[in-house]
Amino acid sequence: MTRLLLILAVLAGLGGGLGWLAPPRADLAEFLPPGRTPASAFLLRELQSGAATTLLLAAIEGAPRAELARLSRETAAGLRASGRFGFVGDGTLQFGDAEQALLFRYRYLLSPETRPEAFTAAALRPKLEALLDGLRSAASPLLARYGFADPTGAFLGLAVTWLGESHVATEDGAWFAPGEVPRVLLVARGQGAGLDAEAQRLAIVAFHEAFAAANPPAGARLLLSGPGVFAAEAAATIERDVRRLTLLATLLLAGFLVWRFRSLAVLALVAVPPLAAMLAGYAAVVALYGSVHAIALGFGVTMLGVVVDYPILLLTLRRPGEPLGTAAARIWPTLRLSAVSAAAGLLAMVGSGLPGLVQTGLFAGAGLLTAAATTRWLLPRLVPEEARLLARPMNLPLAALCDRPVAALAVLAAAAAVLLATGGPDRQRDLASLSPVPAAQQALDAELRSQLGAPDVRSLFVIGPLATEGEMLQRAEALGAAAQALVARGLLTGLDLPSRYLSSPALQASRQAALPDEAALTEALREAAAGLPFRPTAFARFVAAVAESRSLPPLDLATLAAEAPTIAARLSPLVSRHGNEIWGIAPATGVTDPVALEAAAAGLGLPGVLFLDVKLELERLLAAYGRATLGWALAGAAVVLGLLVLGLGRFGRTLAVAAPIGGAVLITLAVLTLLGEALSLFHLAALLLLAGLAIDYALFLAAGREAPGKATEDANLGAVLTCAVSTLLTFGMLSLSETPVLHGIGLTVTIGVAAAFLLACAFSPARHAPHHFLGRGA
Amino acid sequence: MSAIRRALLLAPFATPALAAEPTLEQVMRDLAGVRERCSRFTEEKVIPELETGQPNEGTLFWQAPDRLEKHTTWPIDELVSVAGGRLTYERRDRGVTREFALNEQPEMQVLVEAIRGTLAGDLAALRRHYEVGFSASPEGWRMVLTPRSLRVLGAVQRIVVTGQRTELRGVDVEGGGGVNRMRIAPAE
Repeated sequence: MTRLLLILAVLAGLGGGLGWLAPPRADLAEFLPPGRTPASAFLLRELQSGAATTLLLAAIEGAPRAELARLSRETAAGLRASGRFGFVGDGTLQFGDAEQALLFRYRYLLSPETRPEAFTAAALRPKLEALLDGLRSAASPLLARYGFADPTGAFLGLAVTWLGESHVATEDGAWFAPGEVPRVLLVARGQGAGLDAEAQRLAIVAFHEAFAAANPPAGARLLLSGPGVFAAEAAATIERDVRRLTLLATLLLAGFLVWRFRSLAVLALVAVPPLAAMLAGYAAVVALYGSVHAIALGFGVTMLGVVVDYPILLLTLRRPGEPLGTAAARIWPTLRLSAVSAAAGLLAMVGSGLPGLVQTGLFAGAGLLTAAATTRWLLPRLVPEEARLLARPMNLPLAALCDRPVAALAVLAAAAAVLLATGGPDRQRDLASLSPVPAAQQALDAELRSQLGAPDVRSLFVIGPLATEGEMLQRAEALGAAAQALVARGLLTGLDLPSRYLSSPALQASRQAALPDEAALTEALREAAAGLPFRPTAFARFVAAVAESRSLPPLDLATLAAEAPTIAARLSPLVSRHGNEIWGIAPATGVTDPVALEAAAAGLGLPGVLFLDVKLELERLLAAYGRATLGWALAGAAVVLGLLVLGLGRFGRTLAVAAPIGGAVLITLAVLTLLGEALSLFHLAALLLLAGLAIDYALFLAAGREAPGKATEDANLGAVLTCAVSTLLTFGMLSLSETPVLHGIGLTVTIGVAAAFLLACAFSPARHAPHHFLGRGA
Repeated sequence: MSAIRRALLLAPFATPALAAEPTLEQVMRDLAGVRERCSRFTEEKVIPELETGQPNEGTLFWQAPDRLEKHTTWPIDELVSVAGGRLTYERRDRGVTREFALNEQPEMQVLVEAIRGTLAGDLAALRRHYEVGFSASPEGWRMVLTPRSLRVLGAVQRIVVTGQRTELRGVDVEGGGGVNRMRIAPAE
């Protein structure tokens, strides 16, 4: 007993030490796959570290409108004061004085209206008439302010292109979402880079602090969304789910085992192989990857829940008076075959290429083998020879379930019919299904985005990589010109180009060249103003500004970032830097047929410009991973079958073992179809896990049949039942999880294990009718 | 002598009783009592860059608590109407209609709130947007409104509102070296 506790303490210590040396990592970036094409590589890098990932969307609701507006203003002020955010948008979207002065100074270099013909008397005359008309109107203070310094209207034109597309109603200095329930919206962009989990966490904390500092009344709620929230939320949800469900499952399992074995010591004994398995799995992943992703750890630990089967089998199958070591040696061939086959079944996860799945598969595979070895060699040494650890005999009417091959075949035929009729379960095409983010959080994000009029960027052009920002902006300008043809064909309605906010240095220089000299402009103005009541000096500021513009150094990104926060906030998501390379991003709007646009974009013949439809690309990516996983799953199945033939010696026996395994997979697929579950890669992984469990049951039931005497067969049936109940307790809990992926795994395994057990029974003959024994060859 | 002495003795009491010069709060209270009114106005804009003044005229309509319409009928047809925080701008002769939030256009807001705050008798609203100076004489009262926003001060430096009892008589908007003088006729 002391030895047992000592071993448990050593295992726990080793686990703690390993976790301390290589703590699990929580950033989603590690969990996502690398890209396989230039487009997908760019996309995934942007998803992991692009500017979009630092965006926080927030809504405040649950208070009267005036109160919400106040909360919005004060929370935004708090966010700006915190210094953690590069940009905070709250409805007060206006240029600051310094920003306005800068942009006003550069108006003729940035305006597309700057052409030689725009400064002739003929072009100026209507502008002066319009100005005079405007001065008569109620808006005259505004016009007097800009009109004399900028009679061509270059600045106001730019302001409209830059700011003029808010879809949200501003009221009392806050953005109100459309809808019955009053709700204000806020947007903030964090300063931390990408999916840096710690920076995101601090940004979220700052948000909550700013909200709390605004003294929200009772009932007012802050809702947060965005990739950073997702990362934090996902890690927290999984951790919470795994912890809560594991605790519940462990308690249930412990209760069951204590009842079954009438001993508390058995709990400690049963705990040894899972602990050793987790330790080995963790060590294996750390050895190969340097660290374990928190999500892979969660899934891996969940999957290793099945290894409690091994000690349970050992303890249940031990005959009265038999030393544990002898029992372990006796069941070892079956246990070994079962563990190796189950591990081989995980081949598909390792072969999928998705880092998260590979880590999970590796973790579980290493764990399975370690658990089997621990059960064989370590457990017998931990229990004194004389210890009485015997299973309570189970007198359940299991015989009624046995020897019903016809009924089983009928059920299988029905399942096959369901699959044939429905075409099988839908395949999940959305990467969202792989996301551990709860569906409610995903729905909130979609809602906030649509209310802000900032839908998730779906279709975009990628420009680059280029060495300088000037080249990138020039390419963007070329794309803008070329895209006109695509707009005309109705393939898209608009493009948000980086060059919309900042013209390339070359274009700025060409505009400088188009500006007239002072004498020419004065003369053109004099001619244009003939007969109008303007004083000769009225446009002195305009003439001076044009003269200054001719010698201004071109405006660049760095100056914008330093002095023009509003414009920089719009431009920065469209520019991406990686090392010395610079990329431009141009989101497209109004795309109805991405495939056609992709073909048309390729036909533009613009070098270094790539069209990318996020959904399309992710679907392709997912399909590629799906194909790889399926291929490896088939390979895994073949390996498992080969191992069984090798281990059981005869093909007929293999068939008797394989039938419940294949049957369980078939029934699970049929039930999932009927439940309307869409199959993701994680369901596939769960099917593999389930196959591994089914192997246990089938092998041990078959082993019971092979052995002489009713006692062994009863014992084996009891042992397998104990295992099945344990698994149902664990995974049944998991199917209650809110995390889509955990729920999927739990559901799949729960259905499958029930089916596998019943099928294994149904295909095994009743003990008094040996002639019905399937697979027992003549 | 005794008459003079008596008069001198009484003087401190007599002055308020005779002239009854109102305080700012009193003027505001009186203005708030008028729930609806419609008046003709004329305007003369003086802009330093222009050689001639720009005259126009029209009607001003007020309805408590927050509705104000300024309809210019000559020489252009222009309707500026404000209700709550929304401003609608219409140039009927040009077929132009624009609607926006008042606080998105501070230069317009500063003009609107001076007239609206005065007609509503809402001193708190006026003080939110301006420093308020006040003087009164037997002929009437005079408010000098200085915008609080630095941005707005670039376009409008001072608004002088004059009136008699519950009547608004004049609104002079000074800014950018020019002035816009609005004269309002008694309500019809």
